[in-house]
Order: sequence, then C-alpha cells, then structure tokens
Amino acid sequence: MNRFLLPLIGACLLGLLVLGGCGPSSGAKDEREQGGKTPEAVIGVSVLTLTNPFFRDLADAMKDEAARHNYELIVTSGELLVANQKDQINDFIVKKVNAIVLCPCDSKAIGTSIVKANKAGIPVFTADIASTAQEAEVVCHVASDNLGGGREAAKAVIEMLSGKGKVVVIDRAEVESAMLRVQGFKEQLAKAPDIELLGILPGYGDKKQSFTAAEDALQSHPDLDGIFGINDPAALGIVAAVEKAGKAGRVQVVGFDAMPEGRIGVKDGKLYATIVQYPDQIGRKTIDAIARYRAGEEVEPKILIPCTIYRKADADIDPTLAASQ
Amino acid sequence: MSTSRSISTVSRFFANYGMLGVLALLCLYYSWATLKLQPRLGADAASALARELVNAPEPPSGVLIVAKDHADDIQFADRLAAELQAADIAVVEKIHGEPPAVRKALERLVAAGNLVDCIATTEDYRSIISNISKRMPRLTNSQITAAESYWWPTFLLAENLLNVANQIVVIAIIAVGMTMVIIAGGIDLSVGSLVALSAVVTGTLIVAAGGLEAPPVAMFFCSLAAIATCAAVGTFSGIMITVFRIPPFIATLAMMQVASGLAYTISRGGSIYQLPASFTWLGRESSLLGIPNTVVLMLLIYALAHLIMSRTRLGRYIYAVGGNRQAARLSGIRTNWVVLVTFVISGTMAGLGGVIEASVLKSGGPTYGLMYELYVIAAVVVGGTSLAGGEGKILGTLIGAFIIAVIRNGMNLTEVENYTQKIVLGLVILGAVLLDMLRKRTWRGLVTED
Repeated sequence: MNRFLLPLIGACLLGLLVLGGCGPSSGAKDEREQGGKTPEAVIGVSVLTLTNPFFRDLADAMKDEAARHNYELIVTSGELLVANQKDQINDFIVKKVNAIVLCPCDSKAIGTSIVKANKAGIPVFTADIASTAQEAEVVCHVASDNLGGGREAAKAVIEMLSGKGKVVVIDRAEVESAMLRVQGFKEQLAKAPDIELLGILPGYGDKKQSFTAAEDALQSHPDLDGIFGINDPAALGIVAAVEKAGKAGRVQVVGFDAMPEGRIGVKDGKLYATIVQYPDQIGRKTIDAIARYRAGEEVEPKILIPCTIYRKADADIDPTLAASQ
Repeated sequence: MSTSRSISTVSRFFANYGMLGVLALLCLYYSWATLKLQPRLGADAASALARELVNAPEPPSGVLIVAKDHADDIQFADRLAAELQAADIAVVEKIHGEPPAVRKALERLVAAGNLVDCIATTEDYRSIISNISKRMPRLTNSQITAAESYWWPTFLLAENLLNVANQIVVIAIIAVGMTMVIIAGGIDLSVGSLVALSAVVTGTLIVAAGGLEAPPVAMFFCSLAAIATCAAVGTFSGIMITVFRIPPFIATLAMMQVASGLAYTISRGGSIYQLPASFTWLGRESSLLGIPNTVVLMLLIYALAHLIMSRTRLGRYIYAVGGNRQAARLSGIRTNWVVLVTFVISGTMAGLGGVIEASVLKSGGPTYGLMYELYVIAAVVVGGTSLAGGEGKILGTLIGAFIIAVIRNGMNLTEVENYTQKIVLGLVILGAVLLDMLRKRTWRGLVTED
C-alpha cells in the first residue's frame, strides 16, 4: 500500500505546483495571450493592499489603461508589510521589467528597494503614497491632491455650519496623505473668522479609535458643532459617538474618501459630506505618465488629481449607490 | 560484504536527507517553467552586438550608441565603442541618459544634419528609441538594433538564485534554534515577535548611540545588546516551561504577545529610520566571492549547529530528552537545563534574525517578523524533524528552508496570485511532510529486508 501511496503523493505535489502556476494570474497576462502579440513593455506593480477597494479600483484602472498601450501588468500587493514589497521589487528586477509602480507600505523604508531599482536602470513611479526617502529617485508621483482635498473639506464644514461654530479634527498623524489633508483644512478654515478649531485628536484612521476620540471630544467640548474625520471609517466612528451621546443633528460630521460606506453615510444623512478621491484617475494617469516617459517626453515629478465634495444631493443621483440598493 | 554496507550507507543517506530529491525536483520544474528569452546586458551584450554588426552583409557606416547612465549600460557603451572602432566602424556618438535627454540629443544630431542610419542600444531601450524615432521623420529609416536575447530560465539567473538565498536567510537562521527546541520536545511560537523586538531595540540603541553618526563599533554592540535581550526573553520562556511547568505552546504564545507589545511600545508604533548607511553591511553587502554576508553567516551557523547536534554531548542530550524524557532524566541527564538551553538558543537566533532584517531594510520596525514562526516551523517540519520530538537533522532543516524559499520564489516568477500562493504553500507543506513520513517507512522497510 505504501509503495503506491508514495509516488502518488509525489505526483500530487507536482500537480499542485503546475496547477498553481497555470491558475488565475494577473488579468493583463490573459489579455496578452488572447491578443497574441508581445507586449510593448512589462510593468511591475505593488500596491498597499488588495483588500481595500481604493487600491482595487486603482489597480483595475491601471490594467485597463495598460491594455490600451499594449503593456503587460504584473500586479502584486505588499499587504501592509514593507518586507513583502522589498521581495516583490527584487523579483521585478530579476524579471527585468521596464517600469515599476509602487504604493509604498512604508514611505521611508521603501527607499532602499527603490535605490536598487534605480541602480538596475528601471524607472520607478509612485501612486497615492509617496516615498520620502531622500536617496530614492522616483520619475513621477501620482496622487490625490490631499492638500486641496483638505481645503474642500473645510469648505464643506463652513457650508455645513453656515460660517459659524466650533469644530474638532480627528486625524491620523503618521500618514503623509492625512497630514496634508489636515494642513489644507486648517489653511481654508483660517479664512472663516467665526469658526473656531478647538483641537486635533488622533484617531489612527480607524473606526473604533476615532469613536473613542470623538467621545472624548464631545465630553470636553459640550458646545461642539462639527467634526472632520480624515477618512470615511473615522467619520463613521465619529457618527456612532455622536449618536451615542444623543447629539445627532446637533453635531455634524464630514468624512473623506467617498468609498461605498461613506457614500451611503452621506445618503442616509449621517455624514454631511465626504470628499471624493478618484483612484481610477490615479491609476490611469500613472500609466499615461509611463507612456509619455517611454516616448521621451519630460514627465512632471508630481501629478495631483483634484478632489471634489460629495453631498447628499450627489448621493441621491449616484448610480453606483442605486445599483447596490 | 562491503557492497551491502555501502548500499546501506546510501540508503541511510537518502532516508535522512531524501528531501534533497524533492528540492532537486522543484528546481528542475521551475527551471522549465520560467524558461524565456533573457536580454543580454553590459559587456556581454556589447560583444554580441559588435559581432553581429561587423559580420552583417552590409556593415553600417556610422553607429550611434544610446544607453542609460547606470553601471551596466556604461559598460555596454564603452565596450561596444571599443569593438566597433577596432573593426573600423565609425562611432558617431555615445548618448547616455533618461528618455527625455536622449530625445533632445537625437533632435540635436538630426538638426545638425548628421546621418544616423544605425542606432545600437540595449534591449530595454529598443522600444523606447523606436517610439522616439517614430516621432522624428528624419529617423524613420534608421535601423535600431540590440543584442539578440538568449534562452535561459529566469529561475536560474544568478541574481535570482541570490534573491532566493537572501529571502530565506532569516527564516533559516531562526529555524536552527527551532529545530533544537522541537527535537527536545518543545515548540517556540514567540520567534516572530522576537524578530520585531530585536529590530526595534537595535534601532533604538543605535539612535541613542549617535544615530546617523554612530560608529561601527557602537552598531556592533547595539546589535549584540538586542540579541541578548531576545536571549533573555528565551531564558524567561524556558524558565516558565521548565520550573513552572507551563506547556511550551502556552508559554511561548504568551511571550509572543508580550514581545510584540514591547516592540510596539518601544517604537511607539512607527519605524526607526535614522540608521547609518554602513549598518547595511551585514544585510546587503557581499565580501566573500560575491556571496552575500548573510548567506555566509547562515552557512557558518548551520555548520556549527550540525557539529553540536551530531558530535557533542549537548546534541545527544537534546535528542535523548526529546525521545524519552523520563528515560533521559533517569539516566542522569539534567533535562530541565537541556530544555532551557534550547529556548535560549531559539531566542538568540530570533534576535540575530531581527538584526539582519533591520540591516537589510536599514530601519527597525515593530511589524517585522510577522508570521515568521509559521514559515520557520514549516521549514523545520518539511526538513524531516518530527513535531513529537526525538528526531530530526539540522541539515534537513536547511533543505526544508530552501524548499520553501524555492516554492515561494518560483510562484512569484510564474506570477501566481498572492492569495493562491498561500493555499499552494499550505498544501505543499502538508504533502511534503506526508511524503517524508511515508518515505522513511518505505526505505527502512527496504534496508531491513537485506
């Protein structure tokens, strides 16, 4: 019995690997095989995480745009760990890809891997999250205009409070994009003399922690009128705190991101507004930048995609929400 | 008589290190699966291209060389220029730079009236130059050539094999300690968190010792201190297990949480960056024949561990304690000490792993080493060590670590999706262990039948 089981298991093992290799792989590869022509360039992509719809939309938009230029895309994800991205970049260098696109899991620690790609002569582009390592050379950084988005959020808050009231910000100090949003918010808010910024509390961009921070804010400032949460999970946590304190309607909330949760929050009236980011535009502009680079054009070091305010009126006519409900 | 003895030696070798066959099979499979056209680089590309141009039916009158400005491409341009000039073919100009600079240079040449009928470049730049020349009517008739590519498995490229070795170093080193712990009958789940703790402590101490200005001596002692911290945690776990008789699974599970919490507290949730560039000497440089320092370190540790386990008393005691604890104690072996020693070694190895991680990434962070205990235990088990204790080989663990590294690397090269990779890896570990168990029984059956 053992004699047959042994080679059988060995064969199964090998079969597993072959199947794993032939199984679902990056969509662009299938497209290339269908088209039957060799790709003009191979691009290695490593996003922050594929569990967040923001990055999924970004990656899908990139695949779409890449297919139009006849580029092959290899999409991987660091899943929040910079060590994974380091390995993925090493593999891209070995495969001699023609360009690398990164959403760094750690803006500083990614520097050493980008330098390695620079030495191998592979151009590096960053999307949404920048690299802040000084020795790393990045051809172009494409992201939402977080500074402008912060200003739009302030405009929404001013509108929400009719130009008068007290607000608090619940932020996430470690992430560059959140810092820019808060900066833009403060700049724009300074232009409204009757609105007072009482404080900035850390919410870590997380629903539960922002809930706790909001509870504290409501306790210490009973005359609070509005709160700005730097992303939608934070904003929804804040809404929960407001409802728990019985202040729904008295205290209004503005979020950021306009991911499905946030949009539904605005439609249901829980959030006054959220700020829309366009991950698909980020994806497209990145591939476009690569195409221009490969045609010998000068590419600007930063491309910023403007953000817009999303209010209840927008939610009512939003086709994506109607489809899910 | 000697033939049957040599047969039994060979049989014993295969019974003990049969996973070598699995490793060989995997390497063969991935060599086949990643076979593709590889572009030539540097001097090699230059010679091949020069040969092609010189031996063409109508050699070009003038050649324009275009390349990027990193080391390989500079070598390519220089070598090509030298060989062409030796064959009396004029080199119009050498252009080095990024695409925008190349385009400007081409426009300048064309405007000056130079005839550019042949552009020699690298495979990577070929399509870019083609794009640029399509936009410049004077260049549409130019011939753009690059050296011909050659067939070779991506898996077997020197840089890839180096990647495989580098990727597995930390797991392999920690697996040495884990092998000893498992053979002695225990298990250590805290190693992943100890990697994070070690990286964070190293980073914090180096920053305190001067940050970017810290001298190499200080960095060395900071690393030693971090390793000692992890050894201390290992000692603590060992005492919990031997003196207070807490099951190893629970004790190390608890320490895993404690160590991780400590790492996050010390680093306040963020990474520690202000480390000098020279700190990466261990993690990223190669001093011996181009072999990375980490790989040399790994091989030294394995050699040492193999000697300890096979030739010293401690080694024999570890096997005895794991095989039959009662019998070992009754034979006079101080079993508690032996078990404690294995946990101290495990902690030390995890600490060393953390220092290496920090060296590679030039920063220390509390998220390092996440889930490493799984890969380490997998390497140990795939290498033939039994989780029940009492048997296993250090060199088997090295093979197990390589098997896992080869599979992960191979799946990356064949572009298997992230999530599918996890499924495949889990099933392969299961299969490899089953294979090993059955193979041992079959080989022993064959040998004893003699």
